[in-house]
Amino acid sequence: MYAWWYYNFVEPWIYGEWMMRAVSISIFVSVACALLGCWLYLRRLSMFADALAHIVVPGIAVGFMVTGSRDSAPMLLGAIAAGVLAAFLIGFITRRTRVKEDASIGVVYTALFALGVILLSVVARKVHLDADCVLFGNVLGVPDGALWLMAGVCVAVMVATVLFYKQLLVSSFDPAFAAAIGLPVATIHYLLMSVLSVTAVASFEAVGAILVVALLIAPAATAHLLTDRMVPMLLLAAAQGLISAVFGIYVAVWFDTNPAGSMVLVSCGLYVVALFLSPRHGILARHLARAARRKRHIAATQG
Amino acid sequence: MTLALATELPRGELLWQFLTAHYDFVLWCALGSVLVGLCAGLLGTFLVLRRMSLIGDTMSHATLPGIVIAFMIVQDKLLIPLLIGALIAGVLAAVAFGFIVRNSRTRPDAALGLVLTAFFGLGIVLLSYVQNHESGNQSGLNDFLFGNAIAIRPAEVALLAVLACICIAAVTIFFRPFLLLSFDASYARSIGFNTSAAHYGLMVLTSLVIVASIQSVGVVLVVAMLITPASTAYLLTHRLKTMLVLSGLFGMLSGYLGALISYLYAGFSSGPTMVLVASFFFLLAAAFSPRQGWVVRAVRQRRRGLERREALVLALLPTLSPPTLEALADAMGEPVQRTRRLLQGLERRGVLRVGEDGRIAVLESTTSHARAQARAST
Repeated sequence: MYAWWYYNFVEPWIYGEWMMRAVSISIFVSVACALLGCWLYLRRLSMFADALAHIVVPGIAVGFMVTGSRDSAPMLLGAIAAGVLAAFLIGFITRRTRVKEDASIGVVYTALFALGVILLSVVARKVHLDADCVLFGNVLGVPDGALWLMAGVCVAVMVATVLFYKQLLVSSFDPAFAAAIGLPVATIHYLLMSVLSVTAVASFEAVGAILVVALLIAPAATAHLLTDRMVPMLLLAAAQGLISAVFGIYVAVWFDTNPAGSMVLVSCGLYVVALFLSPRHGILARHLARAARRKRHIAATQG
Repeated sequence: MTLALATELPRGELLWQFLTAHYDFVLWCALGSVLVGLCAGLLGTFLVLRRMSLIGDTMSHATLPGIVIAFMIVQDKLLIPLLIGALIAGVLAAVAFGFIVRNSRTRPDAALGLVLTAFFGLGIVLLSYVQNHESGNQSGLNDFLFGNAIAIRPAEVALLAVLACICIAAVTIFFRPFLLLSFDASYARSIGFNTSAAHYGLMVLTSLVIVASIQSVGVVLVVAMLITPASTAYLLTHRLKTMLVLSGLFGMLSGYLGALISYLYAGFSSGPTMVLVASFFFLLAAAFSPRQGWVVRAVRQRRRGLERREALVLALLPTLSPPTLEALADAMGEPVQRTRRLLQGLERRGVLRVGEDGRIAVLESTTSHARAQARAST
C-alpha cells in the first residue's frame, strides 16, 4: 500500500523540476481562468470566451511575424489588438446590419481564426513555430518568461477581483442599474475583454487556445451549482481550478496523455459530479426533493 | 503516372490543372468542395435564422472524439466508420446539452461551451494518445481538424451528392414547415404543425452535413461554412427562398475557390482557405448590400446631407443682402471653404452664378419648383 501511493503521487516530483514547473503554471492558468470565468458566466459571455480564444491566434501570428521573436510581449500585444478588433467588428456587425449577435460572433471568429491558421502556416515554413503548440499547448516545455508572466497575470486577476469586486458585481447582475448609478459599464466590459485576451494568450504556452475555454467555463458552472452567493462561488471556482490543475497533471503522467486535455477532463468531470450530487441544485437532490414533496402531498390529501 | 510536385510547378500551370480538372483527384476535390458548400449553405440558412449558430459550433467540435474512437476501433482511415463515429458523437453532444439545460440551472450558453470543450478536449486527448502510441495509418488524422479537400475520394463525392439531393428535396418539400418553424414557431404549433419533428429533422440533417463536410473543411471550421454564406445571403434579401438560393450559391463558390487556393498554395489547408473566401463575400455584402451595406448607407447619407445643404443655400440667398459668399457661409454656420465648394457644384449644374463682384445670383432657369422645394425643406 505504501509503495503504491508513493509511486503514483510522490515520485513524479522527485525526478527533476519539470513536475514543479508544469504544476505551477497549470495552477496559475486554472486559478486565473476560474476567477475570470465566474464573471463571464454571469454576463452570459461563455461562448464569447470560446470565440475570443480562437481570435487571439491571428494576433499571436501577426505579433510573431512583425517582430520575428517568440517573446511573449509582441504576441501579447498582437493578441490584445486582435481581441479588441474582433469585439469591435462583432459589435459593428450586430448594430449596423441585420445579422444577429450569435451569427456575427461565429462569422468574425472563424474568419479571424482561418486567417491566423493561414498566417501560421506561412510563418511555420521560415521558422519553427509549431501550430500544434499554439492550439494545444505544451505544459512540459514552458519557458521561464511565460511562467512568470502567467504568475503575474494570476496575481493581477486576483487583485483586480478583490479591488473591483463591487463594480464587477453590480455591472454583471444589473447593467441598467449600474449605468444609472454612474458606473462606466462599457469601459468595464472592454477592460474585462482585455484581461480575458491577456489571460488567454498567457495561457497558450500551457494549455493552448482551444482548451482555455474549458478552464474558463467549467469551474464557474460547477460553483454555480454548489452555491448561491458570489464570494463562495469565486472561492469554489478557484479551488476547482487548483484541483483540476494538479490532478490533471497527475492523470497525464499516469496515462501518458496530453496534459491540457487531461486538465480539461478532470475539470469537466468535477462539473458532472456537481451536476448530480450537488446538495442544493444537483439532479439527485432535485429527485429526492420531488419524491419527498410527492410523499407529503399524498399524506396531506389522504390524511 | 508521375505527378510533378505541386510546389515545383508554376502557379499558372496549377491553375489550369484545377480549372480543367486535369487529374481525376482534382475533379473529385472540386466536386466535393462544391457539394459541401451547397449543403452547408442550405442548412446553415436555418441555423442563422433560428439563432442557433453556436449550437452548430458545438455539434461540429464535438465530433472529434467520435472520429478518433472510430479510428481506434477500425485501425484505418476508412470513411464510413469515421463518419459514423462522428455522427454518434454529435448526437451524444446534442443529448448531453439538452440534458444539462433541462435538468440543472446551468446557463444554456455555458452548457454549450462545456459540452463543446469537454468533447473536444476528450478528442484531443485521444488524438495525442493515438499519435504517440499507435503505429502508422494515423498521419492523416490531422486533416480532420483543418480539412484536406485534395484528399477527397470518389466514394465521398458520391455520399455528398446523395446528401445534397436529400437536402434539396427536404428543403423543397418541407419549405412551409421550416419557414414557419424559423420565423414563428408558436404560430406553427397553434395551427397544428409538428414543430418538434421539424426541429429534430433539421438537426439530424445538419449533423449529417457537418459530418460529411469534416473531410474537406475540418472540424474546427465547419461551422463557418454553415454560418457565413447564410449570413451573406441574409444581408442581401428578405425572402427565404432567395436566401436559400443565394446561400447555396455562395457556399458553392466559397468551396470551389477555397479548394482552388488550397491547391495552388500547397502549404494551406482547405478549411481556412474556404472560410476566408466565404468571409470575403460576407465583407463585400456587408459593405455593398443595396439596402444595408455600410458603404452604401454612408454614401446615401452624404448625398442626403449635400441635398439638404443645397436646399439651404437656395432658401437663404433671397434673405441675404448682399448675397456674397462670406455672408452665405456665415448664415449657414460653415467655414467659407466648405460653402465655396458647395457653390462650385451648384454653379457647375447651372443652378446659380457667382458674379465677379462676389454677388451670387440664382439663375432664372432654376425652376420655381426647385426654389419652392428648397423653401419647404428648410
